[in-house]
Amino acid sequence: MKILELKNISKSFGAIHALENVDLDITPGEALGLMGDNGAGKSTLVKIVAGNFSPTNGEIFVAGKKTSISNPLEARNHGIEIVYQDLKLCNNLTASANVFLGREINSGFGVFSRLKHTAMNDRAAELFGELQSETRPNDVVERMSGGQRQAVALARTRLSDPKIVLLDEPTAAISIRQVAGILARIKQLKETGHAVILVSHRMMDVFEVCDRVAVLRRGNKIADKPIANTNPEEVTGLITGALEKA
Amino acid sequence: MFSYNRLLFLIDHLIWGILVLVFVFFIFQSEYFLTERNISNILTAAAVLGVLVAGQTFVLISGNFDLSTESTLGLAALVGIWLIVPAGPTTFGGGIYMNPYLSIICSLSMGALIGYIIGCLITYGNMHNFIVTLAALLVIRGLMMAFTEGAPVSGFNNPSADVFYWLGHEKAFKVPGLGKISVAVLATGLVYIVCHLILKHHKFGRELYAIGGNRDAAEALGINVNRRIRQVYMLSGLLAALGGWMLAGRVVSIQSNLGETFIFTVFAGAVIGGVSLQGGRGTMLGALGGVLLLSTIDRGLNLMQVSVFWIKVIQGSVILVAMLIDAQRVRLKELSIIATSEKK
Repeated sequence: MKILELKNISKSFGAIHALENVDLDITPGEALGLMGDNGAGKSTLVKIVAGNFSPTNGEIFVAGKKTSISNPLEARNHGIEIVYQDLKLCNNLTASANVFLGREINSGFGVFSRLKHTAMNDRAAELFGELQSETRPNDVVERMSGGQRQAVALARTRLSDPKIVLLDEPTAAISIRQVAGILARIKQLKETGHAVILVSHRMMDVFEVCDRVAVLRRGNKIADKPIANTNPEEVTGLITGALEKA
Repeated sequence: MFSYNRLLFLIDHLIWGILVLVFVFFIFQSEYFLTERNISNILTAAAVLGVLVAGQTFVLISGNFDLSTESTLGLAALVGIWLIVPAGPTTFGGGIYMNPYLSIICSLSMGALIGYIIGCLITYGNMHNFIVTLAALLVIRGLMMAFTEGAPVSGFNNPSADVFYWLGHEKAFKVPGLGKISVAVLATGLVYIVCHLILKHHKFGRELYAIGGNRDAAEALGINVNRRIRQVYMLSGLLAALGGWMLAGRVVSIQSNLGETFIFTVFAGAVIGGVSLQGGRGTMLGALGGVLLLSTIDRGLNLMQVSVFWIKVIQGSVILVAMLIDAQRVRLKELSIIATSEKK
């Protein structure tokens, strides 16, 4: 069963066609590497799935049901969690506040509700523990290292039990030791039946954890094949345009 | 051991230390400073300013400005009184004789409405908040002048205006050492408690910090940023109108320049209290400290019989010193970030 299916997705910004008729699908327990050069449309595709953009054309199916994702909260309600490339952290807030941003734990209703600080801090501490991060819930994000910031962004995806996790360039800004941690995390997500989409420039990472690789070039999907049937040279050729099609 | 964290904590709460120092300084300068009457005067003067600073603090934390609140305050006061007093010379009202409670509701809703319109112009009109609120400052002030043709609207000695004087002038009860606490002071205290709860313990406040800190992130995580901005301006307008109600009860007649140039003091209070003009930083408690410091200095200089002209110079210098401290705080924060990341 396909957990996420994109059919004929197109997105234009005025005269610029960022995506043209892209099909993409993923099953639970599978990791898909999404590759492509700068401007190939990777981030646009991620943002469509995340609910930041709505597609100009095309359909999205989540668990076989046709859905429209018009904002980030809807994406989350469909079980889609995203770690953005720039992590989308508020430097002025604590780790715990960042983890719960947009879905705080409240007591009471509406105007008379109140943030449950202790409950959120406890849960955040648990999540950081699971991620083997030394981050403390009350640390302010602006004083954190790249890896700790990543942990905060990753902890967000674990608040709910997502079905699909999108990681946009998760290894771009962290140390080598931490990259191993992220890759282990992706493997773990696969084992627990999550579908993972990994957007990355790093061939090594994709070939280590992904089952399948899809390549975008100038808004078109030009390849989609199992990792076992390809090799880094071929994928590099596809990305740069040295190879026309797989 | 020397610790940046401890130093940062001290600097973050420096306002209260300065307040105590200034207080002690004035006690030695004037024998009248520590009288109940003077303390009560300081608090009363802080009341109107405090309400406006509270509104401004919300706006600043969300990363915006609201320059228009002084005009909103003036117009709200004017409309509130105008609706209840007779037309013609000496009072120059509208001759509508509206129920005073109704007129207060009208005046407060008008303040909120003005804020909402400003918020809509900024969010739907895609205009910069500085320009929109600057224009609003002029337009609302102009409306006040055009409306009254410069005549002072007066509710003095008019029993219908009692509810204005109740908030502006009435003494609630006597506290030994603090003098008679006026209703206005109590109201402002209440405003600060509620605003503090909203900012610190409500989702709304948390989202304002997020918007001020990283608007892009707030949007990506599903916070309706534009809606929050409209609400923040509404809140600011409502609090400005509340300040207008208070001030209307303190002055004999409402001139069309009521509240003019007040906005500088409002910004000064917020900034001295540690609210950042860049957004995302500051607390209600700090803002309250800034307000108390400003009104303490104001009253103290008055008692020392410092010339009015020099008072402005001193107020300006206080703002500069506050900004200087704030700049050092930012630098220290950076230093401490380097120090902590090197340790790892």
